[in-house]
Amino acid sequence: MGRNRKAWATIASLAICLVHILPFYILLTTSFKASDDLSSKWVFPGYLYLDNFSNAWQEANMLTAFRSNVVVTAISVALIIVVGSVAAYPLARYQTRWNKFIYALFVSALIVPPLTILVPLYKFMVDIGGMNHYWGIILLFVTFNLPMTIFLYTGFIGTIPRELDEAAMIDGAGRFELFFRILLPLLKPITATVVILTGVAVWNDYQFSVFFLQHPHTRTITVALASFFGQYNSNIGWVAAGSLMGALPMIVLYLFLQRYFISGLASGAIKG
Amino acid sequence: MANVRPFTTNDVRPDPAAPLGGPAGKRMRGSAWLNLLYVPALILFGVFIFYPFIKGVQISFTNWDGYNQDFKWIGGFNYKRMFSDPDMGRVIRNTVIYGVGSAFLQNVIGLAYALFLNMNLRTRGLVRTVIYLPVIISSLIMGYIWYFFFQYDGGAINDILLLFQDEPSNLLGDKDFNSWIITFVNTYQYLGIAMVLFLAGLQTIPKDYYEAATIDGATAFDRFRHVTWPLIAPSLTISMVLNLIGGLKLFDVIVAMTNSGPGYASASMSSIMYLLYFGREDAGYAATIGILMFVMISIVSLVALFLLRRREVHA
Amino acid sequence: MRKTWITVIALLLIVSTALVGCSQRSGGNDGGNVANDSGSAGNDADGNAPKTDDSAEPVKSDGGEKIRLTVYSTIGELKNQDMMKSIAADFTKENPNIQVEFQFPGAEYENILKVKMAANDLPDVFDTHGWAVIRYGKYLADLKDEPWAGNLTDTIKPVVTDKDGKLEALVLSEAKDGISYNADLLEKYGIAPPTRFAELMDAADKLKTESNGDVTPFFMSGIDNGMIGGFLDLYATSQYISPSTNDSASLLDGSFDWKKWTPLAQKLLDMQKKGYINKDVLTAKYTDMPQRFAQGKIAFVFGAPSFADEVYKVNKDIKIGIMPLTTMVDGDSQTFSGGERYTMGAWKDGKHLEESKKLIQFFAKPENMSKIANATKLPPGLKDIPSQHEFTTYYEQFKDVRVFPYFDRVYLPNGMWDVMCKTGTALVAGDVTPAQFADKMKQEYDRLRNQ
Repeated sequence: MGRNRKAWATIASLAICLVHILPFYILLTTSFKASDDLSSKWVFPGYLYLDNFSNAWQEANMLTAFRSNVVVTAISVALIIVVGSVAAYPLARYQTRWNKFIYALFVSALIVPPLTILVPLYKFMVDIGGMNHYWGIILLFVTFNLPMTIFLYTGFIGTIPRELDEAAMIDGAGRFELFFRILLPLLKPITATVVILTGVAVWNDYQFSVFFLQHPHTRTITVALASFFGQYNSNIGWVAAGSLMGALPMIVLYLFLQRYFISGLASGAIKG
Repeated sequence: MANVRPFTTNDVRPDPAAPLGGPAGKRMRGSAWLNLLYVPALILFGVFIFYPFIKGVQISFTNWDGYNQDFKWIGGFNYKRMFSDPDMGRVIRNTVIYGVGSAFLQNVIGLAYALFLNMNLRTRGLVRTVIYLPVIISSLIMGYIWYFFFQYDGGAINDILLLFQDEPSNLLGDKDFNSWIITFVNTYQYLGIAMVLFLAGLQTIPKDYYEAATIDGATAFDRFRHVTWPLIAPSLTISMVLNLIGGLKLFDVIVAMTNSGPGYASASMSSIMYLLYFGREDAGYAATIGILMFVMISIVSLVALFLLRRREVHA
Repeated sequence: MRKTWITVIALLLIVSTALVGCSQRSGGNDGGNVANDSGSAGNDADGNAPKTDDSAEPVKSDGGEKIRLTVYSTIGELKNQDMMKSIAADFTKENPNIQVEFQFPGAEYENILKVKMAANDLPDVFDTHGWAVIRYGKYLADLKDEPWAGNLTDTIKPVVTDKDGKLEALVLSEAKDGISYNADLLEKYGIAPPTRFAELMDAADKLKTESNGDVTPFFMSGIDNGMIGGFLDLYATSQYISPSTNDSASLLDGSFDWKKWTPLAQKLLDMQKKGYINKDVLTAKYTDMPQRFAQGKIAFVFGAPSFADEVYKVNKDIKIGIMPLTTMVDGDSQTFSGGERYTMGAWKDGKHLEESKKLIQFFAKPENMSKIANATKLPPGLKDIPSQHEFTTYYEQFKDVRVFPYFDRVYLPNGMWDVMCKTGTALVAGDVTPAQFADKMKQEYDRLRNQ
């Protein structure tokens, strides 16, 4: 009985997989089809056709776009981690009325609709000369991913027993030392969570990148791919191929960090 | 659990500095300067969020067209317009469907999947990865992929429907139904987040609770009702609030699938804001809708937070 | 543990800094002459050289300062983008100190330009795509003293000249929007290109019935709802501006009786009700069209055949024809709607205004204008430019047909275009009646005029 049940459950789980993978299947068939192939989207082409990949790679300047994405995502995520974890520490440990207010302020920024602030933000960016420069958009990404990050880190630090602080301080460690030497290393799981959540957000961003990184040499993948969807271009094969290539690094990152990801969430978002 | 959860409005925890007491406590109070640590974040927020947001609020009191240097102050006119705009009813209805609808579906299905995966199947890792995969894809691209499914001419779903009927169905053209298709796509894409949050929540429940319950003769449903359900309350709270905010702000998928159409039939507040801002050159009014949206999301998420937190306490 | 943590961050930073460094170096290789700039630019990723083909160009050829012009264009086809870049590369060969950086933001063009105008940060040279006077006029330099200014065609000159005689832009190509059609289909069903609207409807009926519904006479898109708005815009001219009924005065002074909009809206609705428009009009995208056109499923498309190359990708033997708009009112003659299509205007506050003008002048050379006309398959905006492509015979045939400026640019306030498109879509969706459409037009027209 028990064994049977498990077998059924395994079959059911594979069925669920199948349903969820369908869009990716369609993406795959589309990416391998020539533009004059009008067969059903379900049908895998009976020939090997890789032009979509090579065309997307060249026309979207994918190499440049990849470089932009890696630079922007890596620096943004690194800064998000540093600024976010550091900011969360006092917020988690000294819950004064004032700090509670600050915390609420940070988290409420999750709700701000990006379009309301687009034009003032753009003007400001032009004034400080950050247009089309990586540092400009990195500052934006850091800022707009901080609410989530601070939320997670604050929650996570809250789960670390205060006794640890006390013990360290009795040993004569200063507050900063305590944070950097004792707490920081404990933040590994939640950092994995933050890396995945913010990494994906930054990597896929369209709304900011399209305005703040218009230069062909700083353009990111999503923006480069979106240009295939212009009014007169219907290169769906290219977009499909490009999307697959563009998503690959994030998929790999997720697979690597998956283990920490869930345990980080468990203690950061849920216990916190 | 209450003592590790940070700031809720109804927090009754004593002064957190207090438990340390004694000399350490004194040192604690003296370390307000540690608040300097969040100053960098605060500066970034001030510069890139609060300042532009206040500017955005100002725009809502003008008749600005979105690009000219000159505009007029028109007081609360845009707000008056908004409350008499015949399209707004539909837009708010859709926004609520996208927000509440997807949050509900994501949580129900996400929880079901999490419970299912918690059975320690060998395929567990595979299923978890596959379900989470769409989260990693850009939502704009995800919208386009699903457009290929629901498309009228050569759409993947119609290819199947045509086996049973003579005419393809124009699913996305159904103005009463297509907001549900969009809700479905959003649910599909971000289901993984809810599932992972519930999986994480399930991990925190000690095994012996279940053992104890089983010894007491509790059925599977009883165990869910009396052990799992109350103890995953924090997961539910987070997942609900995050998905609510995400759904209420929904934009990319709508643009990719229906471009808010037919007419404004599937517009959300985000997407109509975009149309008004760039299309109708009605930036002042767009900003007004942005403010309403901000207020609406704040209220909805605060109410949800309040209700769900209260449930946690009772549990 | 702490070490791993810090190592990860350090690695991330090192990798990305290295990549930024790479980008500068590769930039240097590309243009061969930015090494000086990028050194001082430090961490500045924008220190990249523009993509030009003159890598052999010596650094500091005549000691002048390096200048980089940014040019924004609405050209969407990759092939034509390359054509524009190659002309720019020729320009840089003649003027080694000036580098040209083309950007083609595609669908986001208008949004980006609007945000740029708001921030008063425009590209040195940009495309005005039909909005030279109304939208971009305040930001454009006067080009009336340029050597090519006198060569603008008679039809286009008034379109890009404001009321004070300021010339806003060089018109690379004119738009002459009529109706594009599948010439093979029309031949097959024995239909001559119609000249009156009623004939067009008869042709549609014939195509639909005789093909047993395989051919949909017209294609429109409710997602790219400019196609629906476009239909109304094109035929508004025929309907309201004709020898027998000319409403131009009342449209301009705001006294237009918007009840007159109802019959035009009714015509669109009738077309849909009779099944002349593709069934999925509400959800089809513009990009769905070329494929169906190539398969012979569509007979007519309102507007210019700018989608031709996409059609040839699927069916290279198809013959596409163009014709002027049919008349709406008895006693009128056929017309095109038009205006400027691709243009180059110079930002008046640009740092390199002189160089921008020089670049525009270079593009105005007859051989370059020819290249552009041949690639875009549109009539050039300057006189006596030879061009040869599959539509030249049609343009020759219809060269005496009058071209009216787009209706909305002349008679409707800014912002009405979107109202027309969206409400037109709602009409087709059955959400509003023609009379309600007319009311909505009046209401928004009054509001926007008074803004």
